[in-house]
Amino acid sequence: MSIAGPLDTPSQQAAAGPRLPVSRRTVLGAAVGGGAGIAAFRIMVYPRIEELVQVGTAALAGGRGDWISPLGSESARVAHLLRRTTFGATLDDLERAASDGFSKTVDRLLETRPAAPPPLPAAAVTPNGGLNIGQLQLWWVDHMLSSPTPFIERMTLFWHGHFTSDYRKVGLQTPYIYWQNLTWRDMALADMRSMLMRVTTDPAMLRYLDLGTSTGQNPNENYSRELLELFALGVGHYGEDDVRAAARALAGWTEPRPTRTLDVTVDAKNNVVRKYAVYDEPATGTFVANRAYRGGQLTFLGRKDTYDTERVVDRILAQPAAADFIARKVVQHFVAARVDDSYVKRLGSKFRSSKYDVKTLMREVLVSPEFVADHSYRALVKSPTEFMVQTLKALQAPQLSRLAQLSAPGMGQVLFDPPDVGGWPNNEAWISSNSVVARVNFVTAVLSQLKTVPPGTDAPHHLDGVVGQQTAGLLNTAADDHARWFLALASPEFQLK
Amino acid sequence: MTEEIGINQLKRRDFLRAGLVFGAGAAGLAAGYAAVPDAFARAVYAAKTSGVANDRLLVMIQLAGGNDGLRTVIPLQDPRLHDLRPKLAALSVGQALPLNDEFGLNQNLKSIKALWDQGKVAIVEGIGYPSPSFSHFESIRIWETGDPTRRQVDGWLGRTLAQNYDSFGHPLTGCACGTTDAPGALRDLQATLTVINNQKAFGFTGSGEIEAAVGALYKATPGIYGALFDTAMATARDSIATLRTSQASYQAMADYTDSQRLVYSSKNQLAAALQLASELIVTGTGVKLLHVTLGGFDTHYTELSRHDDRMAYLDSAVGAFYNDLSAHGMADKVLIATWSEFGRRPKENASGGTDHGAAAPLILIGNPIKGGLYGQSPGLTDLDSTGNLKYQVDFRSVYQEILGGHLGADPKEILGAAFDKLAFIKDPAGSF
Repeated sequence: MSIAGPLDTPSQQAAAGPRLPVSRRTVLGAAVGGGAGIAAFRIMVYPRIEELVQVGTAALAGGRGDWISPLGSESARVAHLLRRTTFGATLDDLERAASDGFSKTVDRLLETRPAAPPPLPAAAVTPNGGLNIGQLQLWWVDHMLSSPTPFIERMTLFWHGHFTSDYRKVGLQTPYIYWQNLTWRDMALADMRSMLMRVTTDPAMLRYLDLGTSTGQNPNENYSRELLELFALGVGHYGEDDVRAAARALAGWTEPRPTRTLDVTVDAKNNVVRKYAVYDEPATGTFVANRAYRGGQLTFLGRKDTYDTERVVDRILAQPAAADFIARKVVQHFVAARVDDSYVKRLGSKFRSSKYDVKTLMREVLVSPEFVADHSYRALVKSPTEFMVQTLKALQAPQLSRLAQLSAPGMGQVLFDPPDVGGWPNNEAWISSNSVVARVNFVTAVLSQLKTVPPGTDAPHHLDGVVGQQTAGLLNTAADDHARWFLALASPEFQLK
Repeated sequence: MTEEIGINQLKRRDFLRAGLVFGAGAAGLAAGYAAVPDAFARAVYAAKTSGVANDRLLVMIQLAGGNDGLRTVIPLQDPRLHDLRPKLAALSVGQALPLNDEFGLNQNLKSIKALWDQGKVAIVEGIGYPSPSFSHFESIRIWETGDPTRRQVDGWLGRTLAQNYDSFGHPLTGCACGTTDAPGALRDLQATLTVINNQKAFGFTGSGEIEAAVGALYKATPGIYGALFDTAMATARDSIATLRTSQASYQAMADYTDSQRLVYSSKNQLAAALQLASELIVTGTGVKLLHVTLGGFDTHYTELSRHDDRMAYLDSAVGAFYNDLSAHGMADKVLIATWSEFGRRPKENASGGTDHGAAAPLILIGNPIKGGLYGQSPGLTDLDSTGNLKYQVDFRSVYQEILGGHLGADPKEILGAAFDKLAFIKDPAGSF
């Protein structure tokens, strides 16, 4: 069967078994051989998808083919970069970035001053001064779609999953969970010492992990344990005695005092009035000395000392494990699920010698050869938020942000509501029989709302033109642009990054 | 609470009304590659010839966050409880539903107490494992894999699936209800399992061509995630086909809605998950090993009301589930077992809650149970160096009896060793 022939005989096609009986080289040659194929976004006419695709045939264990990496070409590297560090790109964005080139694009991502999000819309605040969670989620999704600095939003989501809190426990009557979002945006590329100090006194965190009600006399271990296990060091780098020592040393922080209180009638029939806190400005925790530990020296992470919060944080950051811990997590979210220890150590050591500067770490990650290595191509699974926002971006349909907000629970990633203190899982955990259905339904719902879509010929460019045989065959037979977009966005290829 | 609505209520305009137009080739690809299996074949339990062929089912309920055993099965006579827990002990003891002179159930476990009175509840005291981990994630993994040495990566139920049931083509044999991702206990590279978050949303919206098209899209997918994607899609389509036939024939015979006004939430997600489990069971979809989760047990603060709420959720959901199964004539086949990654610290903290602990009791429910107290309560005198309860019974003793006694599988093959016998199954399936 000729690869250029139309698929007009379905039964024959089905019986023919593997499609595209051309050598991989031939296809590669057509696509990237000259280095110009994929670079020519949109300039390329759209005769047949086969002339654009590379079919995965490289061997993987178990006889399954691997994607053929297009990352030898600059424009594919740039697309790969934007897919992982932003919430998607239009073809115009891709063209612009491709003409800037990879390293200039990295500079732009890291060095552009973060755009502030718009103020919360009136609908996000209830008459009692509380937050409407649906509107808050929508506000953030809208900003992901429209922000001129989407890398900062991507990092904000990363930190939201790392230094995480959920609105159920934090509550919506105070603005704490909203403040926490502003904090991780402000500190998206800050240094780890400032971040650990800040997370310890963040009002939402004081509530979420109970430090705000702990005392030195009878400490609550919740925050101390997760600070060591999940935020800074990881299991195996501290002991139970360290959890207890830090719980004592950190006690004393309480929720910030409100600017004033407001009497609100919560039940008119029974005349029940409650005092609600009102804050004119975002605030951090208040330290109340008589709630703190007053028992003298403690032994923490192998050193006996008089510990306060700063000394606890400094002692944590004196452990080499701290830098590797964050570096490993960044790699798993931005480079590859399977992590090479020597790579992590290399990044960790640069992170540590930069005084834990996150911007330095992110630069090292993005410019590392591992980031654009062939085995890093499609080595990560898009989270539901990334998938949905990138879908809307590709279709230039920001007006459908509410669909993304409403579809999130079915896919397992509700903003401001992680499943537990470990934040969201990643990669393989996003693939289940439930989630593939939910993702397909999201694409169906979005397309059902759009009378017109961008040219269907654009769709494969969002897949770098690298698709499997099945996707290629279906794209070729799609009768209209809606169908072509559906196939591209619902495909396994688009779920990956 | 973010409502799970929207997609189905939105107006679908031209595109959906007309159906997606994929062209003839798509239909061909779909038909050629994606044989939709015969849904009726799923109604038959699939047992490997080398495995077992019994018709009993298991429903595991995870109490996520670390359930406080001392507020679940409460020591009634131990004065030390009041010393350790000045805020928490008095009310718990005063309101407990006595099992005997020594122990009582949390006052909200009313349905479970009624089943206890009928001899259908086994309580195993002092469950744990050596050198306990106080990390949620580590301890959950230990319970899920059944391996305190942390070497095993597959789940104990996943291994059970892979070794005993031909789950290939029978995706509902192992099924997680009310969640979006696969629980670790059911995971195994060789096993197929289904995850259904919400049955109403579990199906493809739009025309039938959409399902056929994605069936064709997710075939021979390249890359390290290829097999996962293809299996997930094939499993989803297969399960949806099965459910399509089952939906018409199920009628809940119990009330799964909240009767009590609970303090912090009015939505009992466990009840919804168990209702889905019931539907899968009574309609003969081929389910065998089910897993559901109730969260919120990490009660570091204001535990009194929060833990009471969790107990009420558990009790009302399990009570309805049992009644529903009973009314459908399925109660003799189903064992309901709770598990939690750890218990909580006997001493309460400044926030009116308790921190991570170790040993705790575990509750098993159903007609297959020989009711009573098993194991050994650790007591509050002899705490370990971290101030926690010392375990008396390895959690794998419970798994062993579930696998051998209830499911008739070989527990040693799955757990890798033999553990102390706990004979809580009334009519053991095998003699392992």
